[in-house]
Amino acid sequence: MKFLGDWFVVLPAAVLLLAAGASVVMRNLIHAALCLTLSFIALGIVFIALGAEFVGLVQLLVYVGAVAMVIVFAILLTRPDRLEKSRTPFSGLGPAGGAAAGLAALVVLLGFIFSSPLAKKPLPAPASAPAAAIGEALMGDHVVALIAIGVLLTAALVGAAVIAMEDKP
Amino acid sequence: MTGVIERAPVELLGWFLGLLGSFGVPSWILAVVSAVIIIGTIIGVFLGLFALTSVMERKILARVQNRYGPNRVGFFRWRLCGLFQPVADGIKMITKEDIVPRTADKVVHFLAPVVMMIPALMVLAVIPYGRDMVPADLDAGILYFFAVGAGTEVAVFMAGWGSNNKYSVLGAMRAIAQMISYEIPLVIAAIIAAMIAGSLSPSAIVAAQGGFAFGFVPQWFVLTPWGFTACLVFYIAALAESNRSPFDLPEGESELVAGHLTEYSGFKYATFFMAEYVGMFAVCGMLVTLFLGGWQAPLPFLVIIPSWCWFLGKICFVAVTMVWVRATLPRLRIDHLLAFAWKFLLPMSFAAFFSAACWHYAGRGPAAWILSLAIVGIPYLILGKSFSNRFAVSRRTYQFSE
Amino acid sequence: MNFPGSGIVKGLAVTARNFAGSYFEKDRLTTEQYPEERPVLPENSRSFPFLIYDGEDPESGMRCVSCKICEKECPPQCIFIVQDRDAAGKALKRPKVFDIDISVCMSCQICVEVCPFESIRMDQDYELSAFDRFAPLLLDKSRLLKPNSYYRRIHPTEAAETDARVESERKKKAAAAAAKEAAKPAPATEAAT
Repeated sequence: MKFLGDWFVVLPAAVLLLAAGASVVMRNLIHAALCLTLSFIALGIVFIALGAEFVGLVQLLVYVGAVAMVIVFAILLTRPDRLEKSRTPFSGLGPAGGAAAGLAALVVLLGFIFSSPLAKKPLPAPASAPAAAIGEALMGDHVVALIAIGVLLTAALVGAAVIAMEDKP
Repeated sequence: MTGVIERAPVELLGWFLGLLGSFGVPSWILAVVSAVIIIGTIIGVFLGLFALTSVMERKILARVQNRYGPNRVGFFRWRLCGLFQPVADGIKMITKEDIVPRTADKVVHFLAPVVMMIPALMVLAVIPYGRDMVPADLDAGILYFFAVGAGTEVAVFMAGWGSNNKYSVLGAMRAIAQMISYEIPLVIAAIIAAMIAGSLSPSAIVAAQGGFAFGFVPQWFVLTPWGFTACLVFYIAALAESNRSPFDLPEGESELVAGHLTEYSGFKYATFFMAEYVGMFAVCGMLVTLFLGGWQAPLPFLVIIPSWCWFLGKICFVAVTMVWVRATLPRLRIDHLLAFAWKFLLPMSFAAFFSAACWHYAGRGPAAWILSLAIVGIPYLILGKSFSNRFAVSRRTYQFSE
Repeated sequence: MNFPGSGIVKGLAVTARNFAGSYFEKDRLTTEQYPEERPVLPENSRSFPFLIYDGEDPESGMRCVSCKICEKECPPQCIFIVQDRDAAGKALKRPKVFDIDISVCMSCQICVEVCPFESIRMDQDYELSAFDRFAPLLLDKSRLLKPNSYYRRIHPTEAAETDARVESERKKKAAAAAAKEAAKPAPATEAAT
């Protein structure tokens, strides 16, 4: 199915862009959150189609399973009434200003991506057991970064628990 | 003879594809046909199991509660002990009026059962049903299972929000809180099995539980101290993930009028019901794969019985214990539920993880077994004691009266 | 042995024993599946009244003499009696119409207690539902008349007692009639002489 190979990336990417755009434009806050979740799912499928199945599955697990739920909980716990026609407070710039800012950010990012050394090297062949290879790389070359992130996350969790805990009467 | 029965499903598929190929069908159509046949078989088997389980659960619950279950529905005057009850239920669900609240969010309300059903069916692709019988032998199969299973939480939220009903929203929030709390012990327990087996692929984990120690004792992970603990943690977390008793607060009738399912009737309710049961079977299948040895037989001379029969039997056994637990235990309150997840199951899963690692690095000999038992047993006793002290029944004191 | 979680294990054992026992022990599964297994009612249970007749023919053997005491004493007034009259208009000792409206009857058994002729008794049949609210629930004489053998079958003790009383009444009447017969010829012969 060689001729279908490219479409496996292009179609989810198109869905991703459309969903992300819709989530920015939509009036109803919950619909916007659900479109954002759809864009997360599409991004995961793009990763899997590009051959990085581990990253794609982790994207689904973390973003759809946890981050989307956090967004939803934040909306539910702060604004439980009907959310039609919510107006954004910073509407002074208008859609043209927003589009110009987005375009500028895109140009800068593309410049960085294409001038980086990663774009010049050819892609290495995917490992036969990518999960094991990623595990070995994390625990071997990058173990310091991993443990530092672990300490940081633990500190964040403990801090969150301390902030959320009720004061003893 | 046993080899023939064992290989029968795969051989049949191969013969049929060869037949089509001899007619000049191009190979990509053959691949599609093969995928469709496998998917159709799995869905057919699991929906059949769903129907059978719904009536078996009612009958087992009834017998435990000193009464008969449904025992009338048959056809052509054969009573068949009520085994045709799912047909009657199905007809009822299909012909019921589909009521959507006037102020409900139409799109979200409609899509919620669909979004619930899709992950429940997709996770069935990585479970090994027999020797060489995995529909999709992914290298990171366990990760796929949990990643796709996270999609059910989005569906629960959509159901609760789309109904425009404060009880539904409350029920959905509680259901999501329960699901994300119990997902962590679930994943850690699964990782323990993957760690010892050395791979994230379910077929490799099943293969690592093969062989017999001392000639007749199966080497399943559940028969080790850390494996037993991890299996129990996985089992309890699986009960909570599929919203079954005693963790069915989000859908209990006396609590929140069916919670996030309040405004669903007819076929949409049947879809939710089906998705819950299929999800329950999928997670039973994963439990059997990770801890109970998958399709392996328990004793050497029982290898005669085909591997997929063993798998089916083990899944049914785990499902029956889930019904047994439902018949026995009362429903947990939401704060008890969440406290149990964070303060008991999570530390126990860490203890099991540590115990498994120590068992492996201490050489897997007798000393390693005693060490791993201690590492699991001492936290269990300490945590259990602290829980029974905190929730112990004591003399009631009144704060504002003397 | 009181380890944490032992309560759950004991509960599971109780449940399993109940499940297994429901197949083997009679007193664990006490459901009676209604249309096939009917409950065994105690002897004194009652539903609605019925009329007794002796012998084979309902019309000639019925014990009711249409004294209308039960109609007067019935608290919700559900009995309706019309006395039979012969061709000349003289009242006969039998009812022409005897209706009981069982949608009104409250099964208080007062009609049974006051009947001097042991002719109305309580039945045990409860499967009397109908599709209409009025006409099928008005039992007329033909539906109310049932033989004494039926009464003996459903209420053996009461029937034995009633039969004994009826028998003794009949003997007393026969003895009184015989005594009257024996006493009658003496004045006749005396008058003749």
